Amino acid sequence: MELQDRLNKVFREVFDEDDINITPGTTANDIDGWDSLSHVNLIVAIETKFGIRFSQKELLTFKNVGDMLNSIRSKLKP
Amino acid sequence: MTCIIVHEQYNIGHICTRLQCERGLGAKTAFRWISAHQERVDYSFADLDRESSKFSTILRSLGFARGDILFTFLPKIPEQFFCFLGALKLQAICGTLFSSFGDEAIVDRLGDAGAKGLVTKKSLLKKIARVRGQLPQLKYIIVVDIEEHISDDVLSYPALMRKASSDFTAPLTAPDTPSVLHYTSGSTGKPKGVLHVHRSVLHQSRTAREVLQLTGSDIFWCTADQGWVTGTAYGIIGPWSLGITQVHYGGGYDAKLWLDLLEREAVTVWYSAPTALRMLMREDAKLYMGYKLGSLRHIFSVGEPLNPEVISWARATLGKSIYDTWFQTETGGIMISNRPGLEIRPGSMGKPVNGIEAAIIADNGEVLGSGRQGALCLKSGWPSMFISYLNNDTIYNQKFHHEYYHTGDTAVRDSDGYYWFKGRSDDIINTAGHLISPFEIESALLEVEEVAEAGVIGAPDALLFEKVVAFVCLHKQYDWSKELEVKIRLYVSNKVSSMATPQEIAIVDSIPKNKSGKIMRRVLRARYLGQDAGDISTMED
Repeated sequence: MELQDRLNKVFREVFDEDDINITPGTTANDIDGWDSLSHVNLIVAIETKFGIRFSQKELLTFKNVGDMLNSIRSKLKP
Repeated sequence: MTCIIVHEQYNIGHICTRLQCERGLGAKTAFRWISAHQERVDYSFADLDRESSKFSTILRSLGFARGDILFTFLPKIPEQFFCFLGALKLQAICGTLFSSFGDEAIVDRLGDAGAKGLVTKKSLLKKIARVRGQLPQLKYIIVVDIEEHISDDVLSYPALMRKASSDFTAPLTAPDTPSVLHYTSGSTGKPKGVLHVHRSVLHQSRTAREVLQLTGSDIFWCTADQGWVTGTAYGIIGPWSLGITQVHYGGGYDAKLWLDLLEREAVTVWYSAPTALRMLMREDAKLYMGYKLGSLRHIFSVGEPLNPEVISWARATLGKSIYDTWFQTETGGIMISNRPGLEIRPGSMGKPVNGIEAAIIADNGEVLGSGRQGALCLKSGWPSMFISYLNNDTIYNQKFHHEYYHTGDTAVRDSDGYYWFKGRSDDIINTAGHLISPFEIESALLEVEEVAEAGVIGAPDALLFEKVVAFVCLHKQYDWSKELEVKIRLYVSNKVSSMATPQEIAIVDSIPKNKSGKIMRRVLRARYLGQDAGDISTMED
């Protein structure tokens, strides 16, 4: 499964919405319920599903899904 | 001074729309809608009157009448305002729900209220569909972003509005007619429906004028969601009853976008919350360079105590003080506040506003003098006072003793008459201005298969004021894991709300209870804070 598809699955689970289709340009303004509190759930879920950890500094740089994808991709490199 | 009651018409929907048109403000901008994607649309008071009247006629054609209950379950969008005011014009009762509410929170509120209708968005329909079977009285669901009706009872708002007549005038409405319904959490039991009446407009209007100091030339921005009493009292009723232009922004917190908005829209009075202000304080100081906020006259705050360092930061960075205000869902409007013209005592709640008599009262009923801590109470009878907890007269009556309403907060009054918040007298958690019931979260946690027992407390937090901390005891056959943490987080978020999601989860061997089985949250709180738990003689072995 493509990385974006795997991440989309996490988004659907976290936001309880089967119609979510993320793109690299997706931001919090595109998804109902993506606020600062649900963002914590999202990050914890991504870290768990992908077996990675984000640093606090990295989290502050995420402006959209594309930034998240790049960060996840870099951490999954063998 | 603007007279808002004409010919004894107290109808909030009428006062906020038609009356403003009759005052000659029909062409004036009632609100500039700014979407999350920065699209901007202006709605005049004539637009607000027409759209809300159309919604009134829709509700009437669906069989809604005086006293029927309609809820909105929406993020901040223009339809929120049209539906809210349209329902009130018809003398229906309008309840507002946070769009982050989960299944259980929806059922508790709609079920208790016996709601007849709900206005929502397509993306939230899935939640409603899951619980619809538990809501036999819910006859209609109106969806704002579908073009055609889905069925006889799941209807398209645009389709209804296309055919609706705007020929509607609110019936003469007496001041004691029920109007707005907000649910508030209790430390035990289900959330309570706080019911207000149309008379509340008197106090909301007065405080918008005297505390927020709104005048006809102001551009007002209240950041509160309409699920919150601030969002209806001061995001709708107070300012529009005075014909004030508002800005409503559909996006979430974003420091740069917020500053852009304040500057570009020339906002003159801004009402926000301490958590948002603390988030702004944490931003890089360079962000504030180059912004010209000369239009901004006043900043106000509400929701939880505003710490003095935020006021110092605002003075240094924004060149403005922040006036902290205090009220509750039950009070319907600002009761105690700092305000222009009154010296700010940073960290204090300020002084009671005109017409409000506050007192500090001891457990034995003695009214205490300055410097002594006790229950913060208000002399009953102010215009925006709630008239009941829906279906719960017993709890309502327990809130009143000797003509005083007991707020559940504890406070001290100093010798100059300023009030200082000290805490809650119950276990309610105030996280980012939202009151959360530990009971609701504990109930949700117990529904997770792996969880045997749970206790939830609020713990001090530098950003949120209080954070939700859950103590969880697992069934013996299960082990704690990161996957289980995600499962618990998402379960609570989707069942109750994202606001109720524990910020910390501590795995423990048992939950302290007294001999009658009640969770001893003060013991959990003391353990978490490393403090002495005090008397634990009633704790079960």
